Amino acid sequence: MVQGIGGLTGETLFATLGQIVPLIIVVVIFILALEFALYNLLSKVFKLQNALAYTLLSPAAVAILVFMIYPLLFNVLLAFSDLKRDTFGCYSPVSVATCQLDHLYGLDYAIDNFTKVFFRIRDGQIVDWGRLLTTAGSTFPALLGRTVLWTFFNVIFHFSGGLALALILNQKIRLKGIYRSLIVIPWALPGVITFLTWKQEFHAQYGFVNILLGGFGIAPISWLDNPIYAFVAIVFVNVWLGIPFYMVMLLGGLQSISPEYYEAAQMDGAGAWQQFRFITMPLLRPILIPAVTLDVIWTFNKLDLIVVMTNGGPQEGTNILVSALYNAAFGTSATQRLGFASAFSIIIFVILFIFAIVWITTSGGLKEIYEK
Amino acid sequence: MSSLSETTSTRKRQSGLDWMQIRLILGGIIAVIGLVLALLSNEWGYLLGGVLLGLLAWKWQHGILVAYSILSVFPVLRIIAISLRPTSALLSRTIEIIPANATLASYSALFTEENFLLWVWQSLAITVTVSIIGVVVAATGAYAFSRWRFAGRRPGLIFLMTTQMIPAGMLIIPIYVIVAQLQLTNQIIGLVLAYITTAVPFSIWILKGYYDTIPPDLEEAAMVDGCNRMEAFYRIILPLSTPALSIVFLFNFLGAWAEFIVAKVILVSNAVWTWPLGLNDFIGNFNTDWGKYAAGSVLVTVPVLLLFMWQSKYLISGLTLGSVKS
Repeated sequence: MVQGIGGLTGETLFATLGQIVPLIIVVVIFILALEFALYNLLSKVFKLQNALAYTLLSPAAVAILVFMIYPLLFNVLLAFSDLKRDTFGCYSPVSVATCQLDHLYGLDYAIDNFTKVFFRIRDGQIVDWGRLLTTAGSTFPALLGRTVLWTFFNVIFHFSGGLALALILNQKIRLKGIYRSLIVIPWALPGVITFLTWKQEFHAQYGFVNILLGGFGIAPISWLDNPIYAFVAIVFVNVWLGIPFYMVMLLGGLQSISPEYYEAAQMDGAGAWQQFRFITMPLLRPILIPAVTLDVIWTFNKLDLIVVMTNGGPQEGTNILVSALYNAAFGTSATQRLGFASAFSIIIFVILFIFAIVWITTSGGLKEIYEK
Repeated sequence: MSSLSETTSTRKRQSGLDWMQIRLILGGIIAVIGLVLALLSNEWGYLLGGVLLGLLAWKWQHGILVAYSILSVFPVLRIIAISLRPTSALLSRTIEIIPANATLASYSALFTEENFLLWVWQSLAITVTVSIIGVVVAATGAYAFSRWRFAGRRPGLIFLMTTQMIPAGMLIIPIYVIVAQLQLTNQIIGLVLAYITTAVPFSIWILKGYYDTIPPDLEEAAMVDGCNRMEAFYRIILPLSTPALSIVFLFNFLGAWAEFIVAKVILVSNAVWTWPLGLNDFIGNFNTDWGKYAAGSVLVTVPVLLLFMWQSKYLISGLTLGSVKS
């Protein structure tokens, strides 16, 4: 039974504070000491002109080095290892004694990990595509294909839905403010609650989706038990979630277009479509390209929605690359192959990075960021 | 004014007011048909459908916007409705907002049968700590990026953009192993360390965008008056940046408040869960408890939602400032 009110007693309350308050104090003292020492060193010993800039930057630089660069390098190191749930003892300082491995890190592990992402090898021969999870449907090409489909559908629907709403809201229309604040609500809801609530609404018997379809005489559909329907369901939820972002961005863009352009175009006899094609779209481009770039990256990496709603099932129907990665590392069905998952994550990052370079150089997106 | 509004106004000019009146009558007829169907079948969905279609026929923009607004708010209304249901009716197929025999039993069960308040307290402690550290670390770093042209500035900014591209899984694996090696699993400090990873780059990015909009003349004037650079920063820039600082605080807060995946990996024991883990457990595979889930969702969502709607103008401008506008 729970203690206190909802599990909160004086003891648990102070236990948490006892961890948090010293942490904040230590961090603040560390920042001040670091800045003081670095400033004196740079300005008085090295006589650097930008000493103050580097000093001000140092806490962020340390945070990024420790909490981002180090884990990323460690991830590369893990790809050179055979870390699994059952070999974890070797890597933990507490129970090294029980370790069965000859060596912790080695090139042979890395070769093994990276080949296994793509190929299944038996007796030195490639027999099949490699399985990222235990099931046959979890090959690399299948997951990559599904990820591309997932990203494509989401971005197309985000864009068209957001643009349609922004165009309507940009007209002279009453109650504009109310509509806008209602439409951005999906954005404000905590993600887990969105996913869990929609998961229930897609429930075959009690979910609202089937109740609504029943009103049109459509037989109940087991949304989350069928791979294709489940994929439709998660795309729907992510589209619902992403439209407000585009609407806000594009509405901002539309409002910044001077009405004089349209007046001039009308004088020249341009119709509605021509005005949209030759004035609205080109002038939205500086906002659209970065928004689409970010959206592609976010959608490609959308892990929490899939883990909460379907966890990649049924029959791998909703697994994309990142959710398969999560399941390979921490899932219940797989054997938690962390070394292998690290290698897999590096390959996913390389794919995304190549896409980003190609897309940014061809579209000229994010140019302003580099130039500033 | 957009192209679409131009076309509606031209159409109005061509055919006069009659066209609008015809559409109003048509819309009215459709709505009345919906009402009749609803009265005949006792299904109020027909009335809603009729009114929406009627509105669509009369003023199509409002029809679309009302329909989309309903779709946006709908999950919120549903969890409120389910949270008020008595246990016997939890699985009913009704779509009423205030159910018959409404009760607060699900809410009280959260406090008597579950560790709900403890979970919220843990989340709050973690979230506030991450937000404070994020703002403190980012405030000065972003200022350096905004005002100085030092060696390594461009690579630094490009790196901050690149961090957006890193798949979550690529960081979760090493962070999990590091946290496990430091024996910080099941400890909220482990989670704070993990969240700072994502909070800092994003905060710097938004704050830099905001500082860029403050003219450097302000500090220069203060420095002429005898302030040194740091005094100018603390006395002039920081007070002027209060809106941006609070936006960054709020974004870090919202980001960590509902984080699920990292928390699931690091916090295993029920006694140290954050609320997303607890709510997920309510509708896990074995014990589906919609009442408690819905009540808990309402309690954690409504404050965030009110905050968001109250501050939405600033929040949205802050996000656009950081991510898109240069």
